[in-house]
Order: sequence, then structure tokens, then C-alpha cells
Amino acid sequence: MTELRLEDVSKVYGADGTGTSALEDVDITVRDGEFFTLVGPSGCGKTTTLRTIAGFEAPTDGAIRFDGRGVAGVPPERRDVGVVFQSYALFPHMTVAENVGYGLRFREPPDGKTVDDRVTELLELVDLEGMGDRDPDQLSGGQRQRVALARALAPAPDLLLLDEPMSALDAQLRESLRRQVTRIQSELGITTVYVTHDQAEALAISDRLAVMHDGRVEQVGRPQEIYREPATRFVAEFVGDNNVFEGDARGRNGEYPQVAIDGETFSLAAIPDGTDRVTFCVRPGALSQAADHNRLPVTVETSEFLGETVRVNGRWNGRRIVLQLPDVPESDELTVGFAPDDAHVIDRD
Amino acid sequence: MLYLPVGVVFVEAVVDDGAATLSFFRAVLTDPFYVGVLADVFAEPLAVRTHLESLGGWLGAISVSVSLESPLPGVSLPVPWLALEIPPIRKGLFGFTAYQAALSTVASVALGLPAAYVLANYEFRGRRTLRSLTILPFVLPGIMVAVGFYAMFGRTGTLNQGLGILGLGPIPFIEWNPLAIVIVAHAFYNAPLVARVTVAAWESVDARSVETARSLGASPRRAFRDVVVPQLLPAVLTGALLTFIFTFMTFPIVLALGGLQLATVEVWIYDRVRRLAYSEAATLAVLETLLSLALTYAYLRYESAQSGLARAATAPSRTPLFPDLRTALSPRRLAIVGYGLVALVVFVGPLASLVVGSVTDGSGFTLAHYAFLLERQLEGASYQTLPWIAIRNSLLFGVATLAVAVPMGVVVSVVTVRAGRGGTIVDTLAMLPLAVSGVVFGLGLLQGLVFGVSLPGGWRFQVTGGVAIVAAHAVAAYPFVTRNVSPLLSTLDPALVESARALGASRYRALRDVELPLVASGIVAGAAFAFAISIGEFSSTVLLASGSQTYTMPVAVERYLGRRSGPAIAMGTVLLVVTAASFVVVDRVGGRFEQ
Repeated sequence: MTELRLEDVSKVYGADGTGTSALEDVDITVRDGEFFTLVGPSGCGKTTTLRTIAGFEAPTDGAIRFDGRGVAGVPPERRDVGVVFQSYALFPHMTVAENVGYGLRFREPPDGKTVDDRVTELLELVDLEGMGDRDPDQLSGGQRQRVALARALAPAPDLLLLDEPMSALDAQLRESLRRQVTRIQSELGITTVYVTHDQAEALAISDRLAVMHDGRVEQVGRPQEIYREPATRFVAEFVGDNNVFEGDARGRNGEYPQVAIDGETFSLAAIPDGTDRVTFCVRPGALSQAADHNRLPVTVETSEFLGETVRVNGRWNGRRIVLQLPDVPESDELTVGFAPDDAHVIDRD
Repeated sequence: MLYLPVGVVFVEAVVDDGAATLSFFRAVLTDPFYVGVLADVFAEPLAVRTHLESLGGWLGAISVSVSLESPLPGVSLPVPWLALEIPPIRKGLFGFTAYQAALSTVASVALGLPAAYVLANYEFRGRRTLRSLTILPFVLPGIMVAVGFYAMFGRTGTLNQGLGILGLGPIPFIEWNPLAIVIVAHAFYNAPLVARVTVAAWESVDARSVETARSLGASPRRAFRDVVVPQLLPAVLTGALLTFIFTFMTFPIVLALGGLQLATVEVWIYDRVRRLAYSEAATLAVLETLLSLALTYAYLRYESAQSGLARAATAPSRTPLFPDLRTALSPRRLAIVGYGLVALVVFVGPLASLVVGSVTDGSGFTLAHYAFLLERQLEGASYQTLPWIAIRNSLLFGVATLAVAVPMGVVVSVVTVRAGRGGTIVDTLAMLPLAVSGVVFGLGLLQGLVFGVSLPGGWRFQVTGGVAIVAAHAVAAYPFVTRNVSPLLSTLDPALVESARALGASRYRALRDVELPLVASGIVAGAAFAFAISIGEFSSTVLLASGSQTYTMPVAVERYLGRRSGPAIAMGTVLLVVTAASFVVVDRVGGRFEQ
């Protein structure tokens, strides 16, 4: 199968590199057979990245390699990529089977199969047996999405590119389709790049992911790494709920290095040598009323009941604090703390 | 193809014996015959005081009076008559043209708005058909409609036959007030246009926004005034402005129903050309084109300022028109029925009269008119206007126009839709033919291409009348192809083409497999319009065909009309049949093509 490398890819719109910059030095390696996600807020460059991989846009600078060979100048139709768009882009004048079989007009079906066999096989794969004769407008949103997936996979592409394919669907359908997509992907073992703005979806679905912001890659890693050890303040705040603090290093007090914020000092597990200004984050779940260390009084503003837990938004010294408590707090004032080990120091800006 | 003939006209207007001059313009602008009272202003633009004094004197002489009059001659039916005594003002040719255009606009809006109201708010059998039929008058041959009105309102027309049964008349409607008939004919053309744009705006009003206003305390009437009316107004103004532009450039209707007695600028230009006064014609043509371009520019500016209108999230619901007898007798429903009768007379009357008039004379059923056409065809001399040659030419020019206008229109569409910002400029330039009248364009072609243009090196570029006619038709027709294809092309999801590319299709294959099939219906519809425009085009054809064998059906109708109305009405009916048949044929072909 295929390994995908983006080497310092930049994309600038407008004449002779003076226009707006959409991508800056994007450097990503997607391993063979991996489910890789590009996640970030809208306008972060994730879709542009996908479109440069597919060949719809040419990078201004840098190289894109499929298994080591550069694809600069190769038109989209010769890149062997399957693309699923947010709008599905099913051809409205063709039946479902004609849609799925369209790519087979240009490429032989794999393993010496006939076109009909391949179309039937793909429709089975996405649980749409017997729907081949329907028109796209007779299908539900979820079914269209699966036809688009089958169509992209029919010519057995080297790479599968999915551009926010679920965002037009309701939450429940999205989850079941998500499972189906990951199942099919791991069955076929096809290298997949998935674009989404939904960080929870990105964490749930990916082998690894890249968090993008303002045309740059902020961090690449497995979901657990991204969640537990955000490399930048942006990642810490974008992925999941988080409390980010900034203070001054104040040497050690016994076992732990100290950080002062507004006159209060906090004990952290470790801070890198030679840092004066320290940024660290504490997940809401790590702030508990039972903790001994680092106590801070919080004024409760709102509580959201989420079922298993309650998300509490409050303030400490005017700063916003998010807590995750087992139940709705009875008082408007409560004191929580966190263990030094639960604070993660962010070492990049 | 468009700019050369127009350019030739411009050159003709400012060149006298090889030297540039503005004397033609001075002559026209200071002649009260052309510009009425404004001639003094143009002659002495700096004498502001004198002009203001004469304006004040005129305003002071206006008076209003009410009296009892019997407006129908020969019928003693007194009605209170509100008379507005305005001292006569010399409007001149341009003033009169604008005056009749303004009256036509008022009539078109008055006739079009109730139709829009009914079409947008009531559900009834045939509503959708009726709604799509509103485009039809636009492509009906003008000369045919004029003959239809002649067949209805003429001395032996169907209306007088009907009155005759009641023992009244005959009333010489056309001779009595030709301007009124011309204005009704203009309303026949343009009221559907006003209705069409207004219905479109009405249907895009979000029903939820009306409901929001109601929940905030507005009465139904108030919600209509505050929410619906502001969204309709731009559409009504758009329709009115277009109507004014079209009726300002009106030609066949005025020529056939009013003649020189009611001459508009177009008719006068035509007359000047017939009398070989080319410089005068060209000068008038340039002035008229400048005026219509200014109006079109105003229209385009206005349209683009309004383009931010939101699409309807929820379309307004429609109530059944006649759910039961009780509702059918309510005042509102009765008013709608009354309007329907008026609309029936105005829209169906002329066409029905055309058919009826072709098989009747003053005394009853007859095939004499058709027999005349047949006889003329079989025994007519070659210098006479032969029906079959007219039909054959019309069909030939129609097919040739298709061959030119369809590719041209599609290419313009692709360029405008794909070119982004530059595209709007191309779009505007490409739509200019709508702002240049057929007579002006025909004049340019006649002087430029048919008379020939000298090229450097002793060459001469010259085409025959037939080629020039096809060129004129194609230029008039291709905007309709573009207008039909562009919306489809621009709503096409770019991801469709990209999906095809990613699946292995080249750019050309993606165009063939995806884009063209999806805009095919627009191309077919555009082709139908192009063909109909070509069949019905009169203004440039009548100039280019003069004195040759390249006359078409509309020209034949006009030539017959000059002598005897019966054969003209019969020929008009043939034109109606051919136009309708061509629509059916293209529709059938289109149905298969869409497969």
C-alpha cells in the first residue's frame, strides 16, 4: 500500500507569493495503512492540505510524495486517490451503480473482476446491496454518504481522502457511520486521510492526527498524546475542555518546583530547566475537591448536566475555570485542588 | 459580431465627408421635432433663467376638473371623468417614445402584479403551467402579436364582431386611440415579465419571517407590509425598469398598429433608412443606444445591489383558489375572477382573434385568406412576397441561428461562471445585445457588412443579406442560451467535477460525462428560445431583407399588412403555428436528449 509524505508544503494564494498564506511548511508523514486525521477550526488549512494531496491544488512550495515518488504536476485523474466530499457530489444523472462504477471506466477493476462484480462487491461492503438501480435523490443522507464512499473505493485507490464526510449528518447517524468507515478502512488496510473540525471525532476515529491552526501543523501524534500532552496552548485549548494557567517560576519548595500566579503558588511535577514563564494545563477531571495540593477557591457560574458527570463553569481570580464533577455542586463557592502530576507543562507557544 | 455593426453606426453618425463632426448631433438635439421643449435647452444650455421661467409658467397652467363624459363614441354611457388639464407640451420624438414607454410600464405593472399575487398565493390546477407560460409572450414574434391585436380590435376584428351580435358598433378602436392599443399590446408582452420576477421574489420570501413578525405582534396586513412588501419591491422595480427599456425600444408593434402617426425613435429610424437618410438614422440610433445603455446600466447596477436577497428557507404556503362554492363567492375570489377575465381578454384574445380572423371575414367562415396565400405562392411574380419562401427562409435562418447561437451562448456561460470576478464583466458585455435595439443593429450590419467594409490592402469585407440576418439573429438569441445555461452551471457543485477527476476522468471527460449532461436541459431550453427568437425577429430582418429574396415570415406579415389585413392575419397564423411547432419539436428532442 502507500505511505504519504508532505515535505514543507506551503500554499500561498494570489500572484507571485504575495497573497494570503493558506499553508505554511506543513510536514506530515502518513504511514502505510494508517487512519490519519487533520483536525482544526475552519480556515486552518486542513481542506487545502487534502486538496493538494488529491491534486486539485498545487502547493506553492514543498513536495508531496506517494511511496517516495513526487506527484508534482500529476493531474488528479492519474494520482489513484479516492475522494469523498462533504456534499458527497454524487452524479445526479446516474444511478447508484453507475456512480459506483464511474471510476472503473478509467481503471481496470482489481483482481480481474468484472465491473458489475466490483460494483456489487462495493455496494455489499457499504451495506447497500440491491440499491444499485436507485437514483441518488431516492437515498437518505447516510446512504448517499456510503455510495460516495463505495464510489471512491471501487477503483482500489492507493489513498482514501475524506473531506468532512459526516458533517451533514445528525449525531447518531454520524457515530454509526464512523464505526462503519473505520471498520471498512481497517479491513482494506487503505491509507486514509480524514478531515474534520470535530476534535472529539478526531480523537475517537484516528490512529494518529495532526492538529492544524492558521495554516500550520501545531502537533502530530496519537490521540492519547494529543489529549494528555498538548504541545501548544492552542492544542491544549482546542482538544477537549482544559484549564490553562500562566505563571512565573519560583524555584523549588521541597519536592516540587513552584509557579506563582497572582501571588498564589502552585506545585508542579517538573518544569524544564531555565524557564521563567511557565504555561501549564490541568484537565477538568483532574481538579477535585478531595485533592490536597494546589487548592483554589472557585465561584460557580453555570452547571451543565451531562449524564455521567457535570460540567461546571466558574471563576478563580477572574480566570475561567472548567470543572468536571460527579454531581451538581450545592454551593456557589467551592474549593478544588490538583495533584502536581496532573499538571502538564506546555513547552511551545 | 456585435461590436462591429454598432461601431459602424457610431462612425456613420460622427463622420461627414470623411471628417469628424458633431453637426448631426447638434441638428438633432436642437430640433423640437426630436426632443420637444428640450430643444431650447440644448440650443442654449446656459440660459437657465429663461428655461426656469418657462417651466414655471407651464406648471402654473395645470388644472384639475371633474365632468361627466361618455368615453365610448356612439354609446351614451356617462361616467364621471377626472380631467387633468395639462397645457400641451411638445414632447418631440424622444419625449413621446419615453412617454409611451412610461404609460406601457404603468399598464404592465398594473396588469402583472395581480397575476403575481394569484400565482404566488393560490394553488389551482395549471398554476405551474401558467407560471412557466409567463416566459412565452417574450419570445412571441412582435409582428404576430401586433397582427393579433389588429385582428381583435380592428374594424372587422373579433371584438367588433362580438359587439355586432349585441347590435353595437362597429367601433374603430385602433383609429380612435391607437396609443391605447399599442400600450395594451406592450402590456401583453411585459406584464408577464413583471409577474414572473415578482412571483420569483414572492416565492423566495421565507414563510418563517412572516410567522416571526406575526408572533412579535404584527397583524397579517402589517406583516405583509413590513416583511413581504420590502422583499417584493426590488423585483417589481426590476420588472418595471426592464419593461421601460423594452418598450422604449419598441418597434414592430408601433409600426404595425400606429405607423408613422405614432412614431417612436425606432420607427423613425426605420423610416429614415427606408428613405436612405443614413446619417440622420445613424445619429438617432446612437442617441437611442446611449439612452438605452444608460438605462440598462442602471438596471444592472440595481440588480447587483439586490442580489443579496436570501433564498427561502421555507417557502410560503398556498391556499386553494376555489376550495368550495362559499369561498368562491367571497369578494376577494370574485375580484380574482374579474382579473382573470381581463387577463383572458388581453392575453388570449389577440392570439385567438388571430386564428379566428384568419378563417373569417366580416360575414362568416371563409378560407379566402389562405387561398390568397396559396394563389400568391403558385402564381405570384418573383418580386412579390411569396409565402413559402418566407417560411423556408425563416426555418433556414432559424437552424443557422441555432448553429451559431448555441455554442456561443454555452461558451459565454462557461467563461462567466468559471471566471469569477472577471466573469461579471464578460457577463455584462455579453448581455449588451439586449440593450441594443434590433433596428440599430440591423442598420449597423447593413452599412457595415452588407454594403461592405474596406480593409487595408484593397480587400473588401462583404457578406450577403442572408449571412447578415443570421448574424443579427444569433446576436439577439445567444443571451437566451447563456441565461438558461449559466444558472445550472453555477449551481453545479464543483466537487462533482473533482470527484470525476479523482476517479480518473480527464478534464474533457468530466465535462462530457458530468457537466454537459447536467446542463443539457438548459441548453435545450436555450436552443428553443434561440430558435423562437430567430423565427420571430423582425427589427433587423426587415432592414436587411429590404428589396431582396431573404424576407422571413414576420417581414411577409408586415408587407401583407400594408395592403390587406386578411392575408396578413392568415400569414400571422402560419407564423403562430410554425413557432408553436418548433417549440414542441425542440421540447420532444430535448426530452430524449435528457435521457
